[in-house]
Amino acid sequence: MATDTTTDDGFGQVSRVKGVVFEYLTLAASLLGIVSLAILLSYVSYDAFGLDAAAPAWYVVFLLTLVAPSAGFLWYVRDRSTVRSSISGVLSVILGGTLVALGLVVVLSIIVGPDVWFAHSLFILGPTLALLGYARYVDDSAVWAGTAAGVWLFVGAVLTAIDDLLLVFGQQLASPFDLVTMPEELLLQAAILLGTPGVYFLTVLVPAVVLADRYVASRSNDRRGHSLAVALVLVTFAAVPLVDTVPAVSRGSWLLVVVGFLTPLGVYVALNAADSDSRLGLAFPLVVLAGLFAGRLVVDVLGVARPEPWFDWQLLTSSASATPADAGLYPAIIGSVFIIVLVAVFTVVFGVGAAVFLEEYASSSGPVGKVTRFIQVNISNLAGVPSVVYGLLGLALFLRLLGMGAGTVIVAALTLSLLILPIVIISAQEAIRSVPDDMRQAGYGMGATRWQVIKTVVLPEALPGILTGTILALGRAIGETAPLILIGIASFVTWAPDGVFSRVTAMPMQIYGWAFYPDPGFRHGVVPAGVITLLAVLLAMNSVAIFVRNRYERST
Amino acid sequence: MSKDVTQDPETDSEKLISTDVSTDDADGDVPDESQVRTVIESQDLDVFYGDTQALQSIDLEIPARQVTAMIGPSGCGKSTFLRCINRMNDLIDIARVEGELLFEGKNVYDDDVDPVALRRRIGMVFQHPNPFPKSIYDNVAYGLKIQDKTENLDQKVEQALKRAALWDEVKDRLDESALDLSGGQQQRLCIARAIAVDPEVILMDEPASALDPIATSQIEDLIEELAEEFTVVIVTHNMQQAARISDKTAVFLTGGELVEFGNTNEIFENPESERVEDYITGKFG
Amino acid sequence: MSDEAQTPDLSGGRGFQTVRERLYHALFFVCALLSVLTTLAIVIALLTEALGFFAEVPVLDFLTGTRWSPTIRPVEYGVLPLVFGTVMVTLGAAALALPVGLLTAIYLSEYASPRVRSILKPALEVLAGIPTVVYGFLGLVYLTPALSVIFPSISTFNILSGSIIVGIMIIPMVSSISEDAMSSVPDSLRNASYGLGATKFEVSTTVVVPSAVSGIVSSFILAISRAIGETMAVVIIVGAQANLPEASSIGGLPFVSPTSLFDQFLEPGMTMTVAIVNLAVGDIATQSLAYQSLFAIGLTLFAITLIMNLISDLVAQRYREEY
Repeated sequence: MATDTTTDDGFGQVSRVKGVVFEYLTLAASLLGIVSLAILLSYVSYDAFGLDAAAPAWYVVFLLTLVAPSAGFLWYVRDRSTVRSSISGVLSVILGGTLVALGLVVVLSIIVGPDVWFAHSLFILGPTLALLGYARYVDDSAVWAGTAAGVWLFVGAVLTAIDDLLLVFGQQLASPFDLVTMPEELLLQAAILLGTPGVYFLTVLVPAVVLADRYVASRSNDRRGHSLAVALVLVTFAAVPLVDTVPAVSRGSWLLVVVGFLTPLGVYVALNAADSDSRLGLAFPLVVLAGLFAGRLVVDVLGVARPEPWFDWQLLTSSASATPADAGLYPAIIGSVFIIVLVAVFTVVFGVGAAVFLEEYASSSGPVGKVTRFIQVNISNLAGVPSVVYGLLGLALFLRLLGMGAGTVIVAALTLSLLILPIVIISAQEAIRSVPDDMRQAGYGMGATRWQVIKTVVLPEALPGILTGTILALGRAIGETAPLILIGIASFVTWAPDGVFSRVTAMPMQIYGWAFYPDPGFRHGVVPAGVITLLAVLLAMNSVAIFVRNRYERST
Repeated sequence: MSKDVTQDPETDSEKLISTDVSTDDADGDVPDESQVRTVIESQDLDVFYGDTQALQSIDLEIPARQVTAMIGPSGCGKSTFLRCINRMNDLIDIARVEGELLFEGKNVYDDDVDPVALRRRIGMVFQHPNPFPKSIYDNVAYGLKIQDKTENLDQKVEQALKRAALWDEVKDRLDESALDLSGGQQQRLCIARAIAVDPEVILMDEPASALDPIATSQIEDLIEELAEEFTVVIVTHNMQQAARISDKTAVFLTGGELVEFGNTNEIFENPESERVEDYITGKFG
Repeated sequence: MSDEAQTPDLSGGRGFQTVRERLYHALFFVCALLSVLTTLAIVIALLTEALGFFAEVPVLDFLTGTRWSPTIRPVEYGVLPLVFGTVMVTLGAAALALPVGLLTAIYLSEYASPRVRSILKPALEVLAGIPTVVYGFLGLVYLTPALSVIFPSISTFNILSGSIIVGIMIIPMVSSISEDAMSSVPDSLRNASYGLGATKFEVSTTVVVPSAVSGIVSSFILAISRAIGETMAVVIIVGAQANLPEASSIGGLPFVSPTSLFDQFLEPGMTMTVAIVNLAVGDIATQSLAYQSLFAIGLTLFAITLIMNLISDLVAQRYREEY
């Protein structure tokens, strides 16, 4: 059989030495990149959290109070998949909820402003939701309601846009529109009377709590939804005195945190609290939290030297500065969130639209087929174009040709949208392609039109895949820097943007700007802390994407 | 006929089918030829997939309220013919149809025919059970909703499930996912979904081939019952099944040729062509 | 049989629905068209400005010039130093990433248990998900000082560190596409080899890798194209000094000794992407030659990466057809 068969009895042995060496070589290669990155990132964390100041006793204390209990907990549940999935679920909800809360605060209180939000939400969203609710709960046969709601979304937006223009031009044009927009004027006045917390309570918190109630009720048979709703409202009010003691968080922001963070968390807990294994998983964050508090208490009592972290509340809430101790990321964080929200809107609409066309409408033969193939090749090539070239496109198209302002939110959002659109299209196509053809056939066989099949069969099935792909693509957009440099985004902006046409900076731009500062306070302090912030946001986005994907895989 | 329409406006299928047709002969005894109305008729129908011809000049008349079976070896074009009837072949880019296929005397390949409107009157059940990943109720209500027939929705859903002999098994769990049902139940649910909108014809593409013997016999019983109200066209590769449940049988052989068409018992007992006899007795195919 | 009254009306006759269908069809088509418009816009933007540039600076001078100094007098636009810098960074990155990525792919596809694979694959994807500006910072602040222990003569800004970082970044690109190609090698081929008494090592190296070679090559090309277009990490680590090594002449041909070439790795350099960013952060007037030169380099970069992507596509199609 082989040359080195040596014995006569049995089959002998074939040398495996080369094979074993090769196997370990491949294993080492697989780990090389991961380990190198892990080492580099641990240096970053060491700097960001200022661990050099910590006494050895500090490590011992937290090893005992935080690391050991958490690790023990995880080891204890290592073979129970329900507990593990519940742990990863609740962690994803916590991370994702933080992001959603941050997004809500940025969009509703910084970008839109409570009074405008109030007017627009009642003028545009109110009628739309009323129509949809009517069709959903009152009259099942009101099929026209969906279309009407869509039309109203458009009409309402146009009307408010006209209204805004009229306001800008001092309303000297006495026009028939005044009649239409008068209710909105009244609403604006009402909003001022209500105050910011009142507006958010009525237009955001109440709908969110009702929605959470309905959602939980549709998934469970008891009255857990109602208890959740009551608990959320009680917590909202009960915590107000506490919130008032934190100067950086207003009452309005607190309500948005309840909606963005506590409500999803509450829904997840309510849905998983019945099963004992899942309940055990929900306890994991409590173990971590308790460990943190206990460790801190012990350290205080013993008077052990603590680390002096650069990554702290001050970093997240103050503006850019030339002194390391004062420097913060606040304008950059708000700017990044602002840009990403716009990018998400643009790319989801156009990306899913293009994917639907390519997968559901385009035929593969004839002249149309040729066009389709061309578009397809074109998209995959666009995905490979270096990001700096998109920066050149943004520079030539948006700044020079269309004359938009350099370094503004809208230019950044449009440029990054073009950059990640191919990725979104490709991942949405994969999600749509994975919907079994059986389902489409069933729809068509029932006499559904193409749009009906897409709306009722394809999109609901493909939604988790589309969401996952989009979130991952947005993660790419949030870390991009080169295109931002080319469209004139400054790395030193000391205030947060207040509209789509205002100048903005972003987290990666800030890191780039600081990277060359020779001052060790930046080099081994502020910048590592900024890197940790950016990576934390990315981690949160990715864990949400993975959470969505895992849930989807389990359900099919 | 017009009297019938006024008496029974509920059922679409009633309008177009004469009441004097004998329908209770699903066991293969010969109905009176002169009294059976033709619902679907193909005239010189050719189908091509790209350059390959899948069906060659098919002439066929499918009678109302009977079970017509299409049998033949795989690749003979029997499923292709079935999918021509409700124009499901339109969804395949390279498929091309020549000749005429008349539904109630109207060529469904005329320019003014909307395939969607056609499919709303000709239901279809597929080889593998393909319920939507929705609740049992929503599956049956699906067709009614997209066709805006949402008055008395609950009642219609119940009716359809009863006609599909599934009501007793699922009436307490209409809100559960259809994917939790067994394969045979899923297929009956698909049949319920198809008949909920009261089509005139139901096309079945090997509806029992993915099922176990018990589920198969339930489906077969159901098909015989359905033939009292609907025109059923079924494709099967199982000759015993065709013999058991159909009134008429069409035998397709390789190359997309319709070799023989007639009453089921005649075909199985005394086929005209030697090739059909060879196929039926298992010499090839 | 079918008199007038019985002929069914199958025309649909649902005006509302037909209009709705057409509307959605058109909407989705417009969405798909947007990507074509983006490509067109890129090509037009790059071409118009680049043509303006080439009207002033002849193409040949641009391509063969040995000095890049767009803003400091005497102004010269020779792209060769940029090409040299790009090639150096790319070579270094490829020397690291191609073998490591290939071995990783072999491990994932042939040796790893499903459990190990389910941990390793997402971990490798993380390498590609870290923002490049973060990589740049890691290289400048942590890797370069570490390297200076081994190479005391290394500059603060240097090509070597940039190559290593870019190499780490593109490992997952090589490994994931190569692994796809290896996984799609049918098991029957492996079994044929096992049946002849081959060891797992022999099966991997003599059957799987040769069968997947077009996929592997395609992944190499894509990764190199990515390295060429990489911007931020290189901007931060490699610095901005357009260098060409000193060339002696041997038999009329320019010759650079390998040692002096290696020394270049320890020196700062400038790639095409760095040149673009450097021009953009400087204050340059619109329609000036320096502004237009941005687009000339951009066009060069776009053309190189586009061609490489197309080649990679063609090669990849071969392995898809094979199985």
